[in-house]
Amino acid sequence: MPKYVMVIDVEKCIGCMACVIACKKENNVPPEHYRTRVVEEVRGEFPHLRMELRSELCNHCEYAPCIDACPTRASYRAKDGTVQIDKVKCIGCKACILACPYDARYSHPDGYADKCSFCDHRLKEGKTPACVETCLGKSRIFGDLEDPKSEVSELIKKYDASVRLEFAGTRPRVFYIKKKFAGGM
Amino acid sequence: MNITRRDFLKIAAVTGGAVAVGTPAVKSVLALGKKPAPLPQYIPTTCEMCFWRCGVIAKVIDGKVVKLEGNPIHPNSRGKLCARGHGGIGLLYDPDRLKTPLINTGSRGEAKFKKASWDEALGYVAEKMVKIKEKYGAESMALLTHGTISTYFMHLLQAYGSPNFAMPSFALCRGARGVAFELTFGEDVGNPERLDLQNSKAVVLIGSHLGENAHNSQCQEFAEAVGKGATLIVLDPRFSTAAGKAKYWLPIRPATDLAILLAWINLIISEGLYDKEYVAKYTSGFSELMQAVKDYTPEWAERETDIPASLIVETGRVLGKNKPHVLIHPGRHTAWYSDNVQRQRAVAILTALLGAYGRPGGIYLNPKKKLEPVFLSDEDYPDHKPELNKGNYPFAGDEGITHAIVKSTITEQPYPIKGWFITGCNIMKAMPNQKETLQAIQKLDLLVAVDMMPYDGVMLADVVLPESTYLERHDDFFVVKERALGISIRQPVVQPMYDTKPGWWIAKELGKKLGLEKYFPWNTFEEFLKKKAEIWGINYSELSKNGYINFPESEKPYILPGEDFKFKTPSGKIELVSKELKEHGFDPVPKYTKHEQPPEGWFRLIYGRAQVHTFSRTTNNPSLWELMEENVAWINARVAKRIGIKNGDYVVLINQDGIKSNKVRAKVTERIRSDCIYIVHGFGSTSKLLKKAYLRGADDQQLISKYAIDPISGSVGMRVNFVKVSKEV
Amino acid sequence: MIEISITGTNAITFPYLEVWDWRIVVYLFLGGLSAGTLVMCSIANLRIPKQPVEELAQCFKAPFIAFVSLAIGAPFILLDLGRPFNSFWLFLTFQPLSLMSWGAWGVAAVLLGNVFYMFAVIPPDKRNLLKFAFFVKVAQWAASKMRTIAKINFALGIFLGIYTGVLLSSFSAIPLWNNATLPILFLVSALSSGAAMIVIIAHKPEIKFLFTKIDIWLIVAELVVILLFFYGLYTSTAPYKKAIEPFFSLTSEHFIFSMALIAIFLLLPLALRIKLGELKEFEGEVHGEFTKHQIFRMNFAAILVLTGTLILRAAIVYAGQLTKLSSY
Ligand SMILES: Nc1nc2c(c(=O)[nH]1)N[C@H]1C(S)=C(S)[C@@H](COP(=O)(O)OP(=O)(O)OC[C@H]3O[C@@H](n4cnc5c(=O)[nH]c(N)nc54)[C@H](O)[C@@H]3O)O[C@H]1N2
Ligand SMILES: Nc1nc2c(c(=O)[nH]1)N[C@H]1C(S)=C(S)[C@@H](COP(=O)(O)OP(=O)(O)OC[C@H]3O[C@@H](n4cnc5c(=O)[nH]c(N)nc54)[C@H](O)[C@@H]3O)O[C@H]1N2
Ligand code: SF4
Ligand code: SF4
Ligand code: SF4
Ligand code: SF4
Ligand code: SF4
Ligand SMILES: [Mo]
Repeated sequence: MPKYVMVIDVEKCIGCMACVIACKKENNVPPEHYRTRVVEEVRGEFPHLRMELRSELCNHCEYAPCIDACPTRASYRAKDGTVQIDKVKCIGCKACILACPYDARYSHPDGYADKCSFCDHRLKEGKTPACVETCLGKSRIFGDLEDPKSEVSELIKKYDASVRLEFAGTRPRVFYIKKKFAGGM
Repeated sequence: MNITRRDFLKIAAVTGGAVAVGTPAVKSVLALGKKPAPLPQYIPTTCEMCFWRCGVIAKVIDGKVVKLEGNPIHPNSRGKLCARGHGGIGLLYDPDRLKTPLINTGSRGEAKFKKASWDEALGYVAEKMVKIKEKYGAESMALLTHGTISTYFMHLLQAYGSPNFAMPSFALCRGARGVAFELTFGEDVGNPERLDLQNSKAVVLIGSHLGENAHNSQCQEFAEAVGKGATLIVLDPRFSTAAGKAKYWLPIRPATDLAILLAWINLIISEGLYDKEYVAKYTSGFSELMQAVKDYTPEWAERETDIPASLIVETGRVLGKNKPHVLIHPGRHTAWYSDNVQRQRAVAILTALLGAYGRPGGIYLNPKKKLEPVFLSDEDYPDHKPELNKGNYPFAGDEGITHAIVKSTITEQPYPIKGWFITGCNIMKAMPNQKETLQAIQKLDLLVAVDMMPYDGVMLADVVLPESTYLERHDDFFVVKERALGISIRQPVVQPMYDTKPGWWIAKELGKKLGLEKYFPWNTFEEFLKKKAEIWGINYSELSKNGYINFPESEKPYILPGEDFKFKTPSGKIELVSKELKEHGFDPVPKYTKHEQPPEGWFRLIYGRAQVHTFSRTTNNPSLWELMEENVAWINARVAKRIGIKNGDYVVLINQDGIKSNKVRAKVTERIRSDCIYIVHGFGSTSKLLKKAYLRGADDQQLISKYAIDPISGSVGMRVNFVKVSKEV
Repeated sequence: MIEISITGTNAITFPYLEVWDWRIVVYLFLGGLSAGTLVMCSIANLRIPKQPVEELAQCFKAPFIAFVSLAIGAPFILLDLGRPFNSFWLFLTFQPLSLMSWGAWGVAAVLLGNVFYMFAVIPPDKRNLLKFAFFVKVAQWAASKMRTIAKINFALGIFLGIYTGVLLSSFSAIPLWNNATLPILFLVSALSSGAAMIVIIAHKPEIKFLFTKIDIWLIVAELVVILLFFYGLYTSTAPYKKAIEPFFSLTSEHFIFSMALIAIFLLLPLALRIKLGELKEFEGEVHGEFTKHQIFRMNFAAILVLTGTLILRAAIVYAGQLTKLSSY
């Protein structure tokens, strides 16, 4: 069983937004809805400013509150460990949208809940997710954590990888590497 | 994930290819009434959402483009596309596209369009052109052009008998840089720029706002450098995305960059931080340079730039320490002030002192191979009067100078201009001083626009000819001068929508109507391309299948240690002191010029790019519009508080000539100096045919009613306008 | 100073959640009302064990009211579904961790139990109004099992009351909702609204008086639990502390929530005050018929309670979505 994870090297994100639109096109995400976003966070006061560019998407949590909240099993954990939505079963109750601590989901105009699928259809074709493939900064790295030699395993081992809202206890599978070098602003 | 890449390519190779165009996937007869999911086709082509021209692989299902991806073997894309590249689909399916030829039945610029057939529209244009030629001479037709379509219309114009064309890419873009680098190293840094970013240990960005400026492979290498821990120094009055990555953000007072450059040059010489061997071997004029810059101390520069002398020294030493793996980014849009060439000369000199030209991490060399030019026809162009498209600027480039055409049209000097072709260029958004442009077009007998979208410039035309998008047409081969030389193909991935035609067809048909058919000795453009491929000795079907072919043996990025390298300057050396400039009466070593600063209560208007838009041309693109519907005016937080503006408020900018912008939201931010206001270029369209872009955001160009001119090159200075902010919307 | 700009936000989650709206408020209010009414009514039935049902089921309208409330309330959640025609999927599975699933089955169960209760309380002289002989039989049978049915309905009512609160508190991503006090608060206010409802619909002065008394205790409890609810969140970690801010901020944006809280703390004590007045007036005994004025006063107090309950639910549903865990 693979354990698909994404590592996001925050330092290498240059905020080009290619991922945001590539995801939309790949997954036919309707206008004004998104499966992934890029957050630009600036702290400080002129001229002492710091910026973090962080892309966010569904964490494919190991303890996924969205699955728990779903009354029909439309939200489920797929065999490959990713969290998926079966739109046939989805009644559009939006409980999963409320349950997700990461605001990863949206309500599709056709009524069902939708979110990042880790591009499972591409994985099946042996490709990487669309956002990863097009990431200009190579800030998004995808792979199998079960494979100790994969890039993701090495990165997580080497750097102090964190997850979003660790205290929420969801055990996300999207990891962030925030600081690689000492110094800098 | 290497395997993935290769697999992907395999798929592309098997199912791609030009023959596949438009043919729907085979439908099984046995499918019992249920349509089987059509198989996607992957067809390679070349992007034209901007001028980086990445290799694209279009995923086409049932004759519809569903996704665009980067061609992994193309060095400009490396398997990736920027946001705009992905947004190409939005252009293709933009409901507001130009769909048929149009003829204006009202007065000039009134945009009272009636639909016309191609025959009628081209006939109309040809008739007027014949008249202009008879009355004033062929030279009185001018062409303002940008992008690939230029190839055909420059050809047509010259065949017709006029040399007067101009592209925004020179005076309004990278002209000054090209001139400065040619004067110094004997050659420009190229397009794409030959920057060895991925190997840089220290990078200086002067304005260059990589990330927001989304040139694909350059951004990739930039991120790589950042990821490897290169020291990044960013000079920008605004905390750009790139500044957010920097170790040193130097929020420089606008218009004073030359001061810090000169101070660095001085410091690097006086502290002996320059590459002594390189300087001795490859440069000329060192001692004169040393003399000329000796008064430019860090303390002096601090007064000019607002950057503490200690920081200037510290960063200068960083450059010295990391030489020669240092990249002083030569910039691209360098049309800033009246001394653009001199500022860029300082960049070139600093690069030379650090020994970074032709060295890893600096600027790599042109590929060794050259391809012989293959012309659209073998016919010679007719003789003509001396061209006026270069104005009186001794170092104006071959791309021509847009404002020279405008000026001559207004003044009729040295001779009148009576007809304009505008192809692939939004004259209202690209060129400064809109009033002047509008004044000029009133002098014309004919104004023709060839475009895909009804942007502002198009709305002024007498005749509008709709071009197919880059996803629907063939174009000339693109010769890619990356580390190795390569060739990229553009071919249709779907059939043209509506009654649109490729640029080559339009030029050829118009040529026929003008009796110039001998200049178009091919029936389809593919026919010409195949011939060209043959002359160049490349396999056309392979190129068409893979999208890109290169010549790996042509790669020679660096000067070898001890190599006796000849630069293409008159002296064969890097000219730290420029003899050519001296001969023309200009400073051979850059001297600092003080530029006017905004008076109290006024702000300098500065502008730049947004990652998800290209100039004005994507403001109506549904896919990209969604990510950024309008621009915002960046205002320093303290200033905003003082004048009572809150984040998100609509404000109006008013410039020194009393011109009022469209309403624009204020972005109240710590991320900008208090003496300037920043907006993203290209917004605030006034074309009612653009349902999304119409009157969204403010137009920087409207407020640039004043512009400076660099006397050396004719390069324009567009950052010389001051604005006030008004809450009255 | 923090400046955040995000490319790619969904309106349903940014800048704050806009997932559930008034439809859920109506659902929760009517569901709570139904729960409270059922519980109160069954208390009335079970209080004096020996007496024949006919005499005691004075509040025989109550099970109808409970049924109608829930039957009107439940479709409001269907109205909120993105794909209502898919809702049969709800009944092809039971997901023990999903409160929505509990709701689907639970509401069905409550409605079913409630139906029997309705049959049971039909006075014998009115049974002939039932069109079919089978229904008359059911009614007879149900009446004979009145105590059991009342007990079941008591349990169902408690379940439904708690459920309306747990539905919200199960969302760990939403700090305002995610605490153990909320279900208790919702239960108490549901019961209180049930008591108020019975006061309104009852004819017999004894019943009105009885539930006025019960409601006094429930209102006191509700006020205490509201205070505990805010106290608990205030003493918790940052996101939870932040979650109650809308109720204590007088900025124009969140003014409405402070107003809601103020309203609750005006309405409920006012109702309490009136009820205590009644208590004093009758001093533990009811003599004959109430005057019109007295009835008006009782009903008025009851309506204050119902309004307070509705405001409480609306405020919590909306305010909860303003603060997310992810803001931290
Ligand atoms: N997404 C996207 N990318 C593009 C394009 C696009 O349209 N969209 N266009 C492409 C083209 S053709 C070009 S030419 C390039 C242009 O892109 P660049 O060459 O990077 O343009 P600049 O004018 O250098 O950069 C604008 C920046 O300069 C800063 N600035 C303003 N005044 C001053 C000053 O006096 N000194 C300094 N140091 N900085 C200043 C502004 O704050 C802004 O951050 O972008 C290319 N890339
Ligand atoms: N104020 C201000 N002025 C600037 C700049 C700035 O930053 N600020 N930037 C300057 C720079 S660096 C540059 S490079 C220029 C860019 O100047 P332009 O290239 O003129 O840029 P756009 O405004 O995008 O206008 C392009 C026009 O060409 C059309 N077009 C695009 N692709 C095609 C095509 O394939 N075929 C045809 N027929 N038409 C096409 C578009 O629809 C649009 O009408 O602007 C310069 N002017
Ligand atoms: S991020 Fe949200 S949607 Fe994704 S698995 Fe976790 S809880 Fe579910
Ligand atoms: S919206 Fe769909 S996926 Fe989400 S909880 Fe409801 S049924 Fe499940
Ligand atoms: S993995 Fe696929 S679905 Fe998820 S954000 Fe990336 S592109 Fe979108
Ligand atoms: S594509 Fe990569 S570099 Fe660009 S914004 Fe997305 S994560 Fe950042
Ligand atoms: S940089 Fe982006 S828009 Fe420009 S050619 Fe490449 S993919 Fe297309
Ligand atoms: Mo440019």
